[in-house]
Amino acid sequence: MPIHEKNLIKKGDLIQKEKAELEGIDVSGQWNTFMKPRVVPDYNTRVLREIASTPMGSTITKCWQCGTCTAGCCMHTDFGLREFNPRYFIYLAQKGAEDELKQYADVIWRCVTCNKCVERCPKGVRVEEVIHAIENYMHAKGMMNDTPARRWDKQFLENVLEAGVLDELMLVYKYIRQEKVQEFDMNYMMKFGFKLFKTGRVRTGPLRRRVKGWKKVRNVAMEILEKGGEKP
Amino acid sequence: MSDLAFYPGCSLDGLGKAYEKSTEVVLRDLGIRVDTIDNYNCCGATEVKTLNYDLSIFLPTRNLVLAKEMGSRTVVAACNGCVFSLNRANQALLENSGTREKINGYLKKAGMGEYGGDIHTDHVLEVIYRRAGPEKIRSLVKKPLSGIKVAAYYGCLYTRPKVYTRAGLEEGRDNPEHPFFMDSLIEAAGASPVDHPVKTICCGGGHAVSDREVSVGFSAAIMNAAAQAGADIIATMCPLGHVNIENNITAIEKQYSNKIIRPVVYFTQLLGLALGHSRSDVRLADNLSDADRFFAEKGF
Repeated sequence: MPIHEKNLIKKGDLIQKEKAELEGIDVSGQWNTFMKPRVVPDYNTRVLREIASTPMGSTITKCWQCGTCTAGCCMHTDFGLREFNPRYFIYLAQKGAEDELKQYADVIWRCVTCNKCVERCPKGVRVEEVIHAIENYMHAKGMMNDTPARRWDKQFLENVLEAGVLDELMLVYKYIRQEKVQEFDMNYMMKFGFKLFKTGRVRTGPLRRRVKGWKKVRNVAMEILEKGGEKP
Repeated sequence: MSDLAFYPGCSLDGLGKAYEKSTEVVLRDLGIRVDTIDNYNCCGATEVKTLNYDLSIFLPTRNLVLAKEMGSRTVVAACNGCVFSLNRANQALLENSGTREKINGYLKKAGMGEYGGDIHTDHVLEVIYRRAGPEKIRSLVKKPLSGIKVAAYYGCLYTRPKVYTRAGLEEGRDNPEHPFFMDSLIEAAGASPVDHPVKTICCGGGHAVSDREVSVGFSAAIMNAAAQAGADIIATMCPLGHVNIENNITAIEKQYSNKIIRPVVYFTQLLGLALGHSRSDVRLADNLSDADRFFAEKGF
C-alpha cells in the first residue's frame, strides 16, 4: 500500500523489505513507518489569526482536519502530486508552523481552483480560497518567491485593466515571451495565428474590444489595488 | 424584453467565437430569448482573486449591476469560469454586509447603481435544459446525430461549489457531483452519450500556460477516458476547457499516444447540427481539432 503522508516519516527511517518471512507468514513490504512525534507545545496563533482575518481565509477556523478535501483533490489524487495536501497546509497554518509551510513554497501554488474541495467539505470550509489565502500570506511574509501562476495572474490583471476585457492572444503571447515556454515556439505560434486569422478571430492589439467609459472604472480598480498594497 | 441577460465574457468574443455563434442559433431555434449585456467587462476569472479580493468582487459585480439595470433577474453565461466568479461575487455581497457596503461605495465612485446580491447566474446548459429540455429538442431535431458516440465533459466549475451555484439545492438544477443535463440533451439530439469517469475532473485550464505539466496531464486524462469509453468525439461546455484541451493535442500526441485523440466540439455545436444547421453555421472550422473533417465524413 502506498504511504500518503510520507512527509510525516523521518527521512531514512523507512525500510523496504522485498522478501521477508516471519514464522511462515509473508511480512514483506514497508517497515518502520512510524510517524514523527507531532506534539507541538508552542502553537503560534498569530499565523492563524492573520489568515482568518482575511476575507478569503475566514473559514479556516472551521476545519476539523477530516481530509475530505485532500481525498478528492485534483492535484493530490488525480494528478498524483502527493505533496500537495490541502488538509496538511491548513494544519500547518493552524498551528503556525511557518518553517514547515516554507518547505511547500514550490507546491502550494499549483492549486488549479477546481473547487472540488469546497463542494465536498462537510464543515463549510472554502478550502480553495483558504489555500490561496495561505499562499498570499506566504507571499506577504516573503516566505516564497513569485511563482509562474502568480506572474500569469499579474499579467492577466494588467491585461484586463488596460481595456476592461481580456485580450487572450496578447496575454498568452506576452507570457510565453517572458517565461520562454519552450513548447510554444515560433512555428507553433505561426500555425495557431494563421488558423485564427483564417477564421476571423484575431481581435488583439489595436483590434481588441474595449469597454466604453472604462477609464472611470479603471481608476476605481486602481484605488482598490492600492488599498490592497498591490501595485499592478 | 427578456428576463435573461446574456453575459458572453471575454472568451466568446475571441477564441470561443464558435461557441457564441452556435449558442445563438440553438437558443433562437429553441425559442429562448436572451438580451446580451452591453458594454460588459471581464469577470476576473480565477486569476484576479489570488491578487486582490475586493477587486475580484468588484469586477463581476459591475456586470451584475448592468444586468439589473436591464431589468433582468437572471444572468446567463456560457463559460464555467464566468458562472463561478459572477455567483461568487453575488454570494459575497449577499452574506457579508461589510463587503456589500465597501463594494457599493466603489460602484458609486464608478458611476454605477447600488447592488444587494439578488441576481443569480445560470450556465447556458441549465437554461437550455430547463426552458426547452430534451423533449422539445427531440421534436425539433432535423438531422439526428445517429451513431455518434459522445463523451460529455462538464468541467470543474459548472456545478461546483454548491454554495455559489445552488446545484442540487434548488429545483431545476443539475446534480453537483454527477451532472447529467448535457448527456440528456445530446441523447435527445440523436447521439449516444457514453459514460466515463472524468466528467467533472479539472482540465488544468486554470494553469493552461503557467503549469504545462498539469495542463497536459489533465487534458490527456480526459482524452484517454473518452477513448476508453469508446467515444467518437468529446463535447465541452466551457471555452477555456475547450481551447485548453484542443491546444494540448500536439503535446498529448508527443507525450502519451496519438491513438486517444478525439475531436472536441462545443455541445451547442452538436445541438446546432442536429437542429439542421450547416457546419459553417456552427463554425466547426474554428475548432483546432479534427471536428470539421469528422462531421464532413458523417455527411453533415
